[in-house]
Amino acid sequence: MTTRKVRYKKLNIKTPLPVLREHQINPSEYESLTTESQIATGVEQAEENEYHLQAALKGAGASTDNEIPVPPPQKSTEANYGELYPTPYVEPRNYIKFSDTVEETLGSLYDMTTEDDEFLTTYNAKKPANAQLSEDDFERIMEIFEDTAAEQAPFAAVDNTVVAYEVMAQAMVHLIPKQIVQAHAKIIYEYWMDRRQVCGNKALHPSLKFETHQEHDDMDPYVCFRRREVRQTRKTRARDVQVADKLKKLRRELEEGRQLVVSSHQRELVKREILKADKHIYEQRAKLKETKIRLNIKTDDDDLVNTKPQKRPRAEAQQPSRGVPHNQLRLTVRPDGGRSMEPVDLTLLSDKLIEKDNELRNDIEMKVQNHRRWNHNYVDLTAEPLPPVQDKKEMKFRPAKTTYLMTPPASSASDSMEIDEAPPADVEKALAPFIFKGAPLDDSDQEEMPKYRRRIGRLGRLFIDRRPARSGLKSPPHEGDLMQSDRWKYDQDDSDDEQPYKIKVDSNSLRQMKFRSTIPPPPMLFRRQGADPQQVQGAANRPALPQAQAQAQAQAQGASASSQTQPQTQVPAQAQVQAQVQAQVQPQPVQASS
Amino acid sequence: MSPGILNGEPSVGSEGPRQKSKATVETLRVGCIAMVEKDGQARRAEILSIKDTKSGRQFYCNFDNFNKRLDEWVPVKRIDFEQDVEWPSPDKDKPKDGKGKNSTAPKKKAPSKAQKRPSKREQSVISEAVTPLPFADIPDSQSQSKAPSTPRDLEAKAGETPATAGDEMDIDDDDDNHTPEVKKEEEFSREAEIEKLRTGGSMTQNPTELARIRNISKVQFGQWDLFPWYFSPYPESFTQEDVIFICEFCLSYYGDKKSFSRHRSKCTLQHPPGNEIYRDDYVSFFEIDGRRQRTWCRNLCLLSKMFLDHKTLYYDVDPFLFYVMTQKSEKGHHLVGYFSKEKESADGYNVACILTLPQYQRKGFGRLLIQFSYELSKIEGKLGSPEKPLSDLGLLSYRQYWSENILDLLLECNERDEKSSIESISNSLAMTTQDVEHTLQALKMQVYHKGEHKLVVPEAMIKQREKAKLKQKRYIAPERIQWKPPVFTASSRTWGW
Ligand SMILES: [Zn+2]
Repeated sequence: MTTRKVRYKKLNIKTPLPVLREHQINPSEYESLTTESQIATGVEQAEENEYHLQAALKGAGASTDNEIPVPPPQKSTEANYGELYPTPYVEPRNYIKFSDTVEETLGSLYDMTTEDDEFLTTYNAKKPANAQLSEDDFERIMEIFEDTAAEQAPFAAVDNTVVAYEVMAQAMVHLIPKQIVQAHAKIIYEYWMDRRQVCGNKALHPSLKFETHQEHDDMDPYVCFRRREVRQTRKTRARDVQVADKLKKLRRELEEGRQLVVSSHQRELVKREILKADKHIYEQRAKLKETKIRLNIKTDDDDLVNTKPQKRPRAEAQQPSRGVPHNQLRLTVRPDGGRSMEPVDLTLLSDKLIEKDNELRNDIEMKVQNHRRWNHNYVDLTAEPLPPVQDKKEMKFRPAKTTYLMTPPASSASDSMEIDEAPPADVEKALAPFIFKGAPLDDSDQEEMPKYRRRIGRLGRLFIDRRPARSGLKSPPHEGDLMQSDRWKYDQDDSDDEQPYKIKVDSNSLRQMKFRSTIPPPPMLFRRQGADPQQVQGAANRPALPQAQAQAQAQAQGASASSQTQPQTQVPAQAQVQAQVQAQVQPQPVQASS
Repeated sequence: MSPGILNGEPSVGSEGPRQKSKATVETLRVGCIAMVEKDGQARRAEILSIKDTKSGRQFYCNFDNFNKRLDEWVPVKRIDFEQDVEWPSPDKDKPKDGKGKNSTAPKKKAPSKAQKRPSKREQSVISEAVTPLPFADIPDSQSQSKAPSTPRDLEAKAGETPATAGDEMDIDDDDDNHTPEVKKEEEFSREAEIEKLRTGGSMTQNPTELARIRNISKVQFGQWDLFPWYFSPYPESFTQEDVIFICEFCLSYYGDKKSFSRHRSKCTLQHPPGNEIYRDDYVSFFEIDGRRQRTWCRNLCLLSKMFLDHKTLYYDVDPFLFYVMTQKSEKGHHLVGYFSKEKESADGYNVACILTLPQYQRKGFGRLLIQFSYELSKIEGKLGSPEKPLSDLGLLSYRQYWSENILDLLLECNERDEKSSIESISNSLAMTTQDVEHTLQALKMQVYHKGEHKLVVPEAMIKQREKAKLKQKRYIAPERIQWKPPVFTASSRTWGW
């Protein structure tokens, strides 16, 4: 049988096999195909041939139900179940979460035996009812004796050490009420000692056998639950190296920590020196002034005050890794701004950045021009082209007025999906019913205002679209963080850290979005869009596009067209980014009743 | 039916020809094989221990080709003294030829080293569950360099007293050196030893013999009296008790009735001390970490060892998780069965030990346990298999579970006229491909026909399955499992942090 099998093609586990029923294959053939073969059972070899197992295996698949006989359990006749297990169980509604250990759920871990019971009964018999020792207290005392003995004399079974009563009394102090100790403990102790002696000074509770001496233990079937040897056997060179590396690293880190403390100490010393020097300067100046007055020397007082620190050298001081605001802070901290140690004509990072920025902008501008030139004389026949680029200021979004209206605005509903016509100025005011806190309050600065528009969508839903204030590239990110700057005022040592600054910012704040919209796109992205001008328009034409975005893109176009007239150059690509930002912001329509 | 007929080879005393002659009650000794009446029939049985009771002498018998759980103390009247008794031959267990030299050589040279178990063995012993011959292989590696072939071999060898004790063993590689006197002495000491051990002495020699003999006769557990099947390393003094008491909820064990009732008055547990991860109107499952719940899990292992032969309690419970199935009543969650699972199984086992307590057996709980183990594997996205060796009952339960599930799957394929591969069966049932293949072969469903492998579902099985489906109403509902595979860091595994 097995030899025949060898000739079979080996069955690949991935091979799809036809699944048939007996009648789908010639029955006579099927009979001959099913051969007896020895199949691994996973049962211990010596037991594989056991009578009952074989009978049961033969019966499998057949109608006979051969069961393996086992010693049958019985309902206990002796156990008084109701008495032993009296507590009714209340099922919690949710799945049970439980982590207390057995020991934690029990009170005293000593359970008095029949022998203890006899002793206690006779003991109590001699006492008046109110001076008797309860079973609970007896157990508590015994538990302390046992525990203390295990702790103080772990080898009592071998060396027969008996823990003295004084030690026991000490252990009982906080655990057992004084009067009980005084009344009973000594006698219980003697009883305990007797019992321990009888059983060879071992623990009174029968206990499992744990490992003591490996060579004997290994043989002993009663020894169980050995501790697993820690995987020291697998000690390899690689592991040694790993451990050594870890230790080295730990050492290094501790050393760095120490160094940090030393450096801080030195810094504080230097600071003190600076203060001393400052004080000295101050005093000298005071003297100088006095002298000047006395001698009636009239010059300007430059020599009496620190010249205002120039911006440049300050910015220069910063290392690239340091955050901008941080450096600014530090500089403001320093009273000694006049002493600029940095050479003034060093090129500044900010200069470089501006330079780069300008380059980029020029580049973009040029491409925009090229773009226009390409499109010159062409007529856009796209089905629904974007509205033509307008040079004049776009009116559909109205800047938010930062005035607070005491009365709710008059509701004016428009039936059409069309964008509202620009209302008269007074109505416009009425339609901006809230203060936008994040926006500058300066009304005159129209460019900085966030803008809103209202439109009515399907089912008469009222949408308010918002559009953050358009800003140029001019705003550096942390310019306004003067308030926060205070926090780092005295934290100069932090700069030794290699960790970059982490400033908590709300990425959804208007300021942040505004800033993000000013980030120039990577040139690669820009180039692609430049090469395929239809893309922008095509995207706008997709009917499924949320209107907000389409509008935003239209805006982008408008922005690019108006760029020449604006003091800050705006470029389509940039506007594109802005439009995307808007698209993120806008699609949550403000639901209003209508 | 006479013994040995069904399956040929007798297992008891199969080491070779033995001396045969009549024996009397007095001369019958440990190691002898006699004909003993079992369930109305005479059966070959090896005497493993002898004790004298008020009602007369009793013999602990292991019956030929019967599982050890059927071993029992037999009164004289059940032994057939009319028939010859096979005497234990002194040299039957001797390592043959060169083996003997090999075995003694390392012992002489490096007695301390002999304690080291072979590494491969150690690996398998580490796995808490159903490791073969947990204790038996230890002395074996001392006396013999070759790996054991059968437990019988082993135990017989270990049975030789001098194996652990003496230098005298070192001399004799030859069988001739064995004089009858030596033999008698040997047998005598061995017998005495076992008796000593049985009655709770502190002898540590010949442990393998000891572990072969059931040491607890009766357990009061909740409402039930359980009759243990195998040895379990409860405190040695329990051996003398007629009955031991085990708390149904915390599984604490007591030899003294008063202690037990005192414990019950203090014990507050009413369910396994872990998180419930499954609940339906029939059963619940709790997940218990061996490290966190060391006492409870140790207690569980001691309890289950009484019903699992190939379970070793050699190592502690820390590296295991225990999935405990309970049924609730107005008293609490009653332990029905459990399986243990390595936190990190190098061999991809999803079950280490699995047991349904005897009072719940044959009611379909085993299948629920097995299904649950595979549901967990499905959640983990792993294929699983039970650790080997399986017990006889384990094999039957698994075969049944496997075949039913494969059968259902294949019938669906057949109806939809789809092909199926071993791999796809394996993936949809979270079973290893080996287990799938073995099942297909065992059920004769995998055939080679016209140059092609095919799966054929036998009609008899379909009928049987339909019948079973009418009876079986309980399944684990996977959507009720609230469980995420626990993650253990390397350090927590190595150091327990
Ligand atoms: Zn309990």
